[in-house]
Amino acid sequence: MAKKMSVEEILAAARAGKAGGSAAPAPKSETKKESPPAKEEALPVAEVVSESPPAAAPAPKAAPPAGKAPAGGKGMDMAAILAAARAGKGAGSAPAPAAKPAPQKEAPAKAAVAEKPAPKPAAAKTDGNGATAAPKDTASILAAARKSAKPGPMTKAEAAALAKPTEPAGKKKLDVPPMPPKPDYARPRPAPAQAADAATRRSFISAAAGMLFGSSLAIGFTSLAATHLMWLLGTARFMFPNILIEPPTRFKVGFPDALAPGQVETKYIAQFGVWVVKYEVEGQPMVYALKSVCTHLGCTPNWLEAEQKFKCPCHGSGFYKDGVNFEGPAPRPLERYAISLADDGQLQVDKSRTFQEEMGQWKDPASFVPV
Amino acid sequence: MHGVPLDLFLKQISGFLGTYYLLLALMNAVAAYLLWQGSSRQRELFRVPGADFPVTTAFIWLVVSLFFLLISPLAYSGDPQWMRLISLPLAVRAGINWLMDPTIYTVGTLLLLAFLFVFRRFFVKPWVAWSGLNLAMLLMGMSMTDPNFAAIVTKADNVPIVGLIFLLAFFTWLATYKAVLNDDRIKQGLEPLEKLDNEKVLVWPDLVYTELICMVAITALLLFWAIALQAPLEEPASSVKTPNPSKAPWYFLGLQEMLVYYDPWMAGVVLPSMIIAGLMAIPYIDFNKTGNGYYTIDQRKFAYVMFQIGFLVLWVTLIVMGTFLRGPNWNFFGPYEIWDAHKVEALNNVDLSEYFWVWFMQSSRPRAPEDASDLAKIGYAVRRELPGILLVIGYFTMLPPALIVMSKYFQTMFIKMGFVRYMVLTNLLLMMMLLPIKMLARWSPFHLKYFISMPEYMLNF
Repeated sequence: MAKKMSVEEILAAARAGKAGGSAAPAPKSETKKESPPAKEEALPVAEVVSESPPAAAPAPKAAPPAGKAPAGGKGMDMAAILAAARAGKGAGSAPAPAAKPAPQKEAPAKAAVAEKPAPKPAAAKTDGNGATAAPKDTASILAAARKSAKPGPMTKAEAAALAKPTEPAGKKKLDVPPMPPKPDYARPRPAPAQAADAATRRSFISAAAGMLFGSSLAIGFTSLAATHLMWLLGTARFMFPNILIEPPTRFKVGFPDALAPGQVETKYIAQFGVWVVKYEVEGQPMVYALKSVCTHLGCTPNWLEAEQKFKCPCHGSGFYKDGVNFEGPAPRPLERYAISLADDGQLQVDKSRTFQEEMGQWKDPASFVPV
Repeated sequence: MHGVPLDLFLKQISGFLGTYYLLLALMNAVAAYLLWQGSSRQRELFRVPGADFPVTTAFIWLVVSLFFLLISPLAYSGDPQWMRLISLPLAVRAGINWLMDPTIYTVGTLLLLAFLFVFRRFFVKPWVAWSGLNLAMLLMGMSMTDPNFAAIVTKADNVPIVGLIFLLAFFTWLATYKAVLNDDRIKQGLEPLEKLDNEKVLVWPDLVYTELICMVAITALLLFWAIALQAPLEEPASSVKTPNPSKAPWYFLGLQEMLVYYDPWMAGVVLPSMIIAGLMAIPYIDFNKTGNGYYTIDQRKFAYVMFQIGFLVLWVTLIVMGTFLRGPNWNFFGPYEIWDAHKVEALNNVDLSEYFWVWFMQSSRPRAPEDASDLAKIGYAVRRELPGILLVIGYFTMLPPALIVMSKYFQTMFIKMGFVRYMVLTNLLLMMMLLPIKMLARWSPFHLKYFISMPEYMLNF
């Protein structure tokens, strides 16, 4: 048989066997007469499982046991299994050639299981095989085949479902009970008469109002949505804080000649947070811009003219005029901002770049202007 | 109150001081009355010969009360001549200023608390404690005529800390008092007092009423406080202007003080986390089952002493120091010293590596060449700081075993706790004791700054 048969084809093939009464393997009668209890056990399983979609999924699982069959080999597929399973119902005519070995092989196991009395719950599980004996619809047969191919522990719920005695297995055919009538709440509501016209503006407005405020639940959800919307808007507003725009990071601080040697210019502190210093560092007279942030914890130190040092009011760190730390807990010198000569000859400080002494960056020519 | 002439300042403070002394007089009078009423509690000290007059404790406190009553009008006068009588002499103030030098202050606090602990049986006597309270109050009153002292103590920020000092002293005394009583009872084979008083108390009405009364009292106090003391509001914050001195809230002043001696990463993150983690670890490293549910010192001597060192010495005294002794530029100022922003203190701090390489080895500190690779730079930095690294590692790994060898107490502790718990305990202790060690190293003539100083890698210790 072709491997690539679709499920429909398989089912069709199986049904054909049923209709023609062609499938009648030996095991059928065996199980039938031996095991009414097994059937009793098996039925609930089939019912439970058949609720799951009965589509193609079981097919591969069912394949392995069939594959073991010596004669069937590859050809043994879903159709054969189904045919075998359905055999119990048929009139007892000749089995399909390929299907024949499989039921025979399964038979001893089935029988062994079926012979065992029901009380053992573990045995009940394997009785999925027994389901072959009972006439079934396609879904339950597939499920049963799948069940038999999947041994393993079962949950308590399963065990309980298995142990529960259900309807007697006397019937030949599983009656699918008619669908219960839908309860009132599940019935589709008849559309309101006005909505049916739905054309007028008034009806639209009243429908919208009804949807938004028509019941306490609608009011609740409407206010919830409104609150969330306001939160969202507030968050969006929060992203644009009501602040002054920062002063430019690049600014001019006058001509180098305006500074006296050794002078620390403090007038740019308030706006820019920078000291402009003209001083001799390592024998080279230069102008540099010191960042007014203490390297210990970020307070703004004060320039003490009398002591010729920067002194931090938070933890007492002290820095020389060249920015090198010498007292208190500050672990490293003050940082320098980039400084250069602008085209007009003024000093220009660029706050976007800093230079750290301990990283050897004070040697960078951008960190000072020689004078 | 700086910049106010002394006589004007005395006028301003006179009303407060007079009332202060009146309240002290009232306090002692009430104590004397209570002692006199409950005559079982008053002791006859001696009899005045001839007059046959029994001098009792109640009488003594009555005399003290009269004394305060007498100096109250002197304070009310606001007159410099009279006020000088109830002021600390300048020499005493200078002496106290000198005593408040950081080294003496820290070591002195430790010694004082050790002294109080050793002689606790004496100091828990109620009359001793009451005398101590009176003396402290008198000292404070006599200091209030000093403008600098008054400026610090009456600053709206600092008033709660003054109250906190007295409250803390009271509760420490109370706990010690009860612990001494219990220890005496336990020595006699009796149960601790708390076990006798095991009567069941109902939440309603006992607890709820107590809470209600406390709630009303605290609310009244807060209302009064809010009206009497102006809120210490300052100018709007600016990122480029830091107030001088810039002080943390009082409960963080211990941390701020710690920041002076450590890298911010250590003092701001690692050590506070270790404090919390260490407190959480106490139940797991404490093997002493006694002392549950009652006050005792003798049964839990190690735990008690360690807690008091950590809390009283390393937390409270640091808060007091940060509040009252730290002035502009975070310099030290005595309580009677004027807060001079230009006070010059020689604070040239030197790292350990400089001591080792420059002073001891007579060479320059290892410095990576300009073109060295990053890995080589790390190697140079580690080599430069090797003495400090070895010292710190040795401190934490060598001292715990050394303690076992040297001390019988730590030996039994090690046997009872096992290796891991013992190392956790001792390392927490050593970490705690590193703070005073670092403080003293900073203030010592060496002005030692960091044991390990690798600012390139934000690693300073």
